[in-house]
Amino acid sequence: MLKYLMKRSGIYLVMIFLTTSAGYFLAVSSLKPAVLEQEKIPRPTPEQVAASFRGLGLDPAKNAWERYVDWLGNIVTHWDWGRSPNGASVNAEFGDRVLVSTRLFIASIILTLIIGVALGVYSAARQYKFQDRVITSYSYLVHILPAPIAYFLVQLGAISVNEAVGQRIFFVTGISTPGIDPGWPAFVDLVAHYAVPTFAMTIFGWAGYQIAQRQYLLDNVNADFVRTARAKGLTRNQAIRRHALRVSFIPVAQSIAFTIPAIFTGGFFAEAIFAWPGIGLWSIQSIGLQDVNVATATLAYGSVIFAIGAILADFATTLVDPRVRVQ
Amino acid sequence: MSTNISQTPSERLREVGLYAPGDAVLSVRDLNVRFNTENGVVHAVRGVDFDLLPGKTLGIVGESGSGKSVTSMAIMGLLPETADITGSVRYRGKELLGLSDKAMCKHRGSDIAMVFQDPLSSLTPVYTVGNQIIEALTVHNPIMSKQAKEARAVELLRMVGIPSPKDRLKAFPHEFSGGMRQRVMIAIAIANDPRILIADEPTTALDVTIQAQVLEVLHTAQEETGAAVVMITHDLGVVAGMADDIMVMYAGKPVEKGTVEDIYYNPRMPYTLGLLGAVPRVDTANKQSLVPIEGAPPNLALPVTGCSFAGRCPLVSDACLGGEPELLSVRVLANRPNTNGTDAKTAASHRAACIKAEELGGETDAHHIFRAPAKPVSKFDGVDRGEREKVLELKDVKKHFPLLKGALIKRRIGTVKAVDGLSFDIREGECLSIVGESGCGKTTTLLEIMEFHPDQQGEVVISGVSNKVATDSKTKMAMRKEMQMVFQDPTGALDPRFTVYEVLAEPLENLGMPKAAIKKRIMELMRLVGLQPDHVNRFPNQFSGGQRQRIGIARALAVNPKLVVLDEPVSALDVSVQAGVINLLDQLRAELGLSYLMVAHDLSVVRHISDRVAVMYLGKIVETGDVDEVFDNPRHPYTRALLSAIPVPDPNLERTRERIILQGDLPSPLDAPRGCNFATRCPVFAALPAAKQEKCLTLEPPLASEEAYGQEFACFFPDGEIDADMLVVHT
Repeated sequence: MLKYLMKRSGIYLVMIFLTTSAGYFLAVSSLKPAVLEQEKIPRPTPEQVAASFRGLGLDPAKNAWERYVDWLGNIVTHWDWGRSPNGASVNAEFGDRVLVSTRLFIASIILTLIIGVALGVYSAARQYKFQDRVITSYSYLVHILPAPIAYFLVQLGAISVNEAVGQRIFFVTGISTPGIDPGWPAFVDLVAHYAVPTFAMTIFGWAGYQIAQRQYLLDNVNADFVRTARAKGLTRNQAIRRHALRVSFIPVAQSIAFTIPAIFTGGFFAEAIFAWPGIGLWSIQSIGLQDVNVATATLAYGSVIFAIGAILADFATTLVDPRVRVQ
Repeated sequence: MSTNISQTPSERLREVGLYAPGDAVLSVRDLNVRFNTENGVVHAVRGVDFDLLPGKTLGIVGESGSGKSVTSMAIMGLLPETADITGSVRYRGKELLGLSDKAMCKHRGSDIAMVFQDPLSSLTPVYTVGNQIIEALTVHNPIMSKQAKEARAVELLRMVGIPSPKDRLKAFPHEFSGGMRQRVMIAIAIANDPRILIADEPTTALDVTIQAQVLEVLHTAQEETGAAVVMITHDLGVVAGMADDIMVMYAGKPVEKGTVEDIYYNPRMPYTLGLLGAVPRVDTANKQSLVPIEGAPPNLALPVTGCSFAGRCPLVSDACLGGEPELLSVRVLANRPNTNGTDAKTAASHRAACIKAEELGGETDAHHIFRAPAKPVSKFDGVDRGEREKVLELKDVKKHFPLLKGALIKRRIGTVKAVDGLSFDIREGECLSIVGESGCGKTTTLLEIMEFHPDQQGEVVISGVSNKVATDSKTKMAMRKEMQMVFQDPTGALDPRFTVYEVLAEPLENLGMPKAAIKKRIMELMRLVGLQPDHVNRFPNQFSGGQRQRIGIARALAVNPKLVVLDEPVSALDVSVQAGVINLLDQLRAELGLSYLMVAHDLSVVRHISDRVAVMYLGKIVETGDVDEVFDNPRHPYTRALLSAIPVPDPNLERTRERIILQGDLPSPLDAPRGCNFATRCPVFAALPAAKQEKCLTLEPPLASEEAYGQEFACFFPDGEIDADMLVVHT
């Protein structure tokens, strides 16, 4: 198993290198930070811009290949991912950004998963009954609701709660209140900031898992092996729980592993609306700011997360399905 | 339910489910099952009555849709909640119908157990075999210790004949072959010593040699547990040796019931008569035509008026349409019996639902009743084989598949010799059948012939054209005109969006035939295969399975080929329909002077239709020759085992027959032994002294003929003693 994981990791490392390099070439040839410098007041001369960029290692005079070699050399020798046009170090900001994103999403990812799968099982066991119709209709409704609108609705709801109580219970934006005392007050503040985005992302997030789990379980409810289990003397519900559930979880496990990275790297709506400056927001902003190094770094991060997701998917599949166990 | 005033009190009591013989373990009374479907209410089971006595075996025989499986599922309480079930099912006097799922669970798996048809999908893929057996024990014995359960699981696996049972407990179902999985299913079923074992088509999905093994295991299981067995099957051969009583079902209703002897030797219902005449026999060379039962069973979504079989019965009269005949005792039919029914073993146990039951009897010839066609005579029949032209010749054809390993860079770790040096020929007007277990290379042989490419290993000559010169498409085209194929699954082989006309016109258009001629030819073809010419504008789904196969045959014959390759042409069809298609194939061969190359697993069909036969094992022919010589006097131990494994629809013969039960499955072609590749399973080899065994292990026996025998075979010790362990006789 370990050998297999090592082998897969090796393959993904090569893939990450290739996507990141390709991303760098694309960024370096299409993003022109000098254009934005022209909007500064007073307007710098082209010589000043070139000189400042040269100092930041963003020399526009060099060709793409030369800049790629410099950039790669810095990463390999100093683990230095370069600088933004405004002089900020990518390394310095990267860690904070990743931490913000992780904190924002981790709780809702876990809740989404558990609730989605549980509701999927619950609704499958009551196919076409009232509960199933309500749960599944809700999931389809949420599926067609754009995330910004959904999040905004939750914010409005939280604000009206605050107004009704006459006290600020929930914060609808931001990570924490500056200058708060450490200890208990800091914790209360954290929860107050955390509740709204987590709630919003959870109730609008489980739909996909619920629909998938319900569908896969229904495919297996009438399988021959469930009938065998019932013939042994298990009740229908026992047979479904013990036999159909695990088999139906195989494709769901795989989809989970692949959707998690998408949330981590593509959560810019949530980050923008709730004002949590995480990695998703950064990657979109970097393109607007013509920032080659940040765009490439976020791309590299996305590739790494995706590779981890893929390995997790393999791992999860081998865990639940003995048929694909590796030699 | 029909209420008849002239019924005796006991019969009326029987109908309302109040009466059941005290000693029966299972009494089913007036069982009715209805399903609500989009096409209305389907009345799938319409009044089934039977008593199952302890330790006895009841065979329920019927075609697909006859309600036999639904009956068994209703007894087990495994039908969907939407099914409407009425009547009475009593286990030792206790009513089971109407019990909640939870209450029923006490009986399922402990009192009544079941073995299902498809072993490949009946075990949960993600749990070990041991886990699944132990689960069956845990459900009914919560206090049993873990060690005791494990010991019992090992004992069960040993009982069903799984080698090294202790290690195999940890194996997953996908690591087992189909036959082994069915053994595990049986182990699960008998885990709690059930009083009743229901086996629903337990061997239908298996090869004949494996079928014999599994039937043997079922036999052992019954002996060990003393359970009463309900054996559900469409194969009259399978139950002949096993069952004590038979119930023949048709259109959801039992139409004839009795002891095995009653049913097989003295059938009284035309449907039973037809069914028995429709099955060819592997043990006799009688080349009479089979009994075809025309038509299809009635649609059970519509109310049945009159006898359900009337539409297909050649003896039908106006009286048959008046009302559904009841299942009445046949021998005392004239004056109504006043049996009090206490003794189930009286002569009255033979019952048939036919108003003409009295006129039919042991001497009735089904061929005569059903107007079976006379055996057709071909113009080649009198011609000596050597004087006929060769339509197909194979010379040392080989197909080896490399076995590769590795994700990016593949390396060869072995070779699968799917077809390994095959040579045979087919003459005009002749039918050669290739038989063998699945995986022996039958289908690959057909594919190699169809491939017809100069780069193939070995030479394929079709009507004098060799594949070695088939470099251009014109030669290939000419070859296709000479040889056509009929496929196993008629539903899958016909494009559902083509009308029959389009299906038949396509090959003719390819040949560039003018439109008017195509139309004429299609009408001709439809009549030729026994379909109504005005049905040409229908789509395949508007035909029954048998009719679809006829369309498949018509398509093959469209271009007037000399050779037709038949890949399991009747295995997807019901017995009664199968007979009609076999008769058609016989007739076409005689009328059109066709040659057939057939692949089939059903040796009875092979014997009926073929002139010559080739027995294949692991890519090689082990015995070949005239079909009667090979079947009556098999020389190779594999042929002997194969033939002895085929059940015969004759209870007396079946009970006393010696059976060679081969051990294990077909070995993977990867570990094919060096010498004779059958040695690992050979019943003769096992009994040989070590000195002689050496020869089998090192030298490959050549395919050669021997004096006094017409056929060729590949064995050094054809007359060797059969190992006693592999020989089974039930007395």
